[in-house]
Amino acid sequence: MVGSPVLFVAIPLLAAFIIPLTGMIWKNSVRIIPGLVLAFMFALSISLMGYVSEHGTIVEVIAGWKPPIGINLVFSPFTGFLTMLMTFLGFMVWLYSYKFKRNVDFEPSMKYFILLMLLVTGSVGIVLTGDIFNMFVFIEIVSISGYGLTSFYTRRDSAEAAFKFLFMGAIASTFLLIAIMIIYSQLGTLNIADIAEKMPLMDNKLKVLSLVFFILAIGVEAEIFPLNGWAPDVYTQAPGPIGAAFAGIVVKAAIYASVRLVYTMYDFGGAFDLFIIIGLITFIVAETTALRQDRLKRMLAYSSIGQMGLVMIAFGIGTKEGVYAALFLMFNHAIIKSLLFFSGSYLVFNKKNKYIKHVNGMGKYLPITSVLFTIGSFAIIGLPPFSGFWSKLAVLTAAADSKMVILIAVILIISILEAVYYLRVVNRIYFFDKKEKTETQKPSINALIAMICLGIIVLVIGFYPDLISGYLDRAATDLMDKGNYIKEVLTINK
Amino acid sequence: MKIAIILISLGILGFYLMDIFFGIGFGVQHFSNGVKDLYLSNSKDILKVSNVVTSIVVNFRGFDTLGEVTVLFLASTALGGILYKKRHHVGERSVLFPASRIVMSGAKLLFPSIVLLGAYVFIHGHLSPGGGFQGGTIIATGFLLMLLTYRNYSVSHNRLVYFESLAGILFISIGLVGYFSKGSFLENVLPVGNMNDLFSGGVIGIIYIAVGFKVAAELTGIIYTVLHEKD
Repeated sequence: MVGSPVLFVAIPLLAAFIIPLTGMIWKNSVRIIPGLVLAFMFALSISLMGYVSEHGTIVEVIAGWKPPIGINLVFSPFTGFLTMLMTFLGFMVWLYSYKFKRNVDFEPSMKYFILLMLLVTGSVGIVLTGDIFNMFVFIEIVSISGYGLTSFYTRRDSAEAAFKFLFMGAIASTFLLIAIMIIYSQLGTLNIADIAEKMPLMDNKLKVLSLVFFILAIGVEAEIFPLNGWAPDVYTQAPGPIGAAFAGIVVKAAIYASVRLVYTMYDFGGAFDLFIIIGLITFIVAETTALRQDRLKRMLAYSSIGQMGLVMIAFGIGTKEGVYAALFLMFNHAIIKSLLFFSGSYLVFNKKNKYIKHVNGMGKYLPITSVLFTIGSFAIIGLPPFSGFWSKLAVLTAAADSKMVILIAVILIISILEAVYYLRVVNRIYFFDKKEKTETQKPSINALIAMICLGIIVLVIGFYPDLISGYLDRAATDLMDKGNYIKEVLTINK
Repeated sequence: MKIAIILISLGILGFYLMDIFFGIGFGVQHFSNGVKDLYLSNSKDILKVSNVVTSIVVNFRGFDTLGEVTVLFLASTALGGILYKKRHHVGERSVLFPASRIVMSGAKLLFPSIVLLGAYVFIHGHLSPGGGFQGGTIIATGFLLMLLTYRNYSVSHNRLVYFESLAGILFISIGLVGYFSKGSFLENVLPVGNMNDLFSGGVIGIIYIAVGFKVAAELTGIIYTVLHEKD
């Protein structure tokens, strides 16, 4: 073992404190150091994944106190898979925005890279931690860097979006604290494994109440239907790469948190049905709203919410196939939606309101970006040679195995809506003529590399889904095996 | 009509919430094998720290404190990034009217003692109530007093950045020293000494001093950024 899970948090924080000092000496270091740190995190996650697949879950204690007393980090096949995905995407977002505000101001660009790095760190922390209060702290880190990044352009609209997000996030934090307080008052512990073991001792009323507070709090970050009012505004107003970071990293961490709660801590039948109902409502409402949008980024935002609804449905099926399908969807959505946000930002670059009609005829002016956007659109609809096909198929087979026929019908009908609004944009790119005289912006070389990397992944996974199914299978088995998680954490001998 | 429905449903919701909350029973013994007894005995016997709150905050759950320090750092970073373009140059701040002579002399007199009190609070964090966050906040209020009183009082931005960064680096370095020498991040590496001595509790005191400097620098930086905003 080369490193250990705590370095995922310690090294980025150390770098975040060092960057303001090095920035005084060498200005480019504020761009380079975050990239090095994110690359290090990705490499570390790959090396630890290799170790985990041979030797089993890594449980690391902090400050030398064993789990019920101290905080611990858990690097299992499930959390490791998500960590790998998030750190990879974090690196891609950094690569895409390497030249961000290059010639404008030094100080804002420094803050941008620090906030971006800590956004990824916080999300990784949410996934790795084995303690609910520690999870709360990491959710705070993610939210506050999110508020800062949303209002980064300091325009009126971005301030409004950030304020909306801040308001909902603050209420969510309070609810999360109330839920944690209820659990601590009844069980006297904050460790997730310890809580999971003692959960049967808790009064049923309080169990349900704390679960409701948890779902309300985490639902804000996870973009569950009635709580996602902030999401479209934030995706529209934040800088382009940050939309990808939200869709690919932050939301994945929040979904992880709710899944960890329901599968490991609470683990009763009604909660799974709740997942399916919430997921279905989110999926239907978001996809129908996306159909009506006339701005590109808003459409992508609603589509992102809809995909998260589908992930919730897949987790709600509650079988191993369902978890497998949900993880596959999360992986695909992270890659594809980042690709769409990256290429979409260039298609409507320099346009004032970023309407969908601005992409008219871009196929001629920006050929590579247009092809990449088209690949992304086809993949997210679920057309066969692309990776999105396999995940959607996995959801449908999982639902079929559990004999949920109506669910399959609804998913298929809504998928048609999805096809309509994505193909509409692709149609405009290739078969309409460009009317306005505004200049198009050629993507910078680093942005192009990031987009092509993601595009290649979409194609490769489309042709060889077996490359990833081994990881997914192990991750799904790990999540379903609650007893093993408790045993691994509580019987650690440091 | 709409308002009536909302009020009634809120009332029903509130009633059941209160019902459940009264069922929690604060102060009643629910559990026998919680972590609280372990915290008490361990901080007395192993860490030799008389302020149990401090030993929980800095050692047992030190990772959370690192996170909270980062939250504050993020808040000041985000604020600096957003308000960047609107900053005045040093010395042309808009105070509406100058403070009276009494306030000016009083502030000059109080400032050193406020800083001293803050330093006392965070240095004795493991012995008496208070700690890094509280002490840092007290110091920042001293700077706030000076900034409000004197029109031309200015704090060097670079110096704040030095303090902030070095204190943060110190915190994580202590953690990494524990990681490389004992195998666990933030683990105590120094001798714990005797209870109630100033030099007791191992690394707890040093971490709290770092936190104190960091919080003071960050809050002062936030106040400074906001005061220097143009209309």
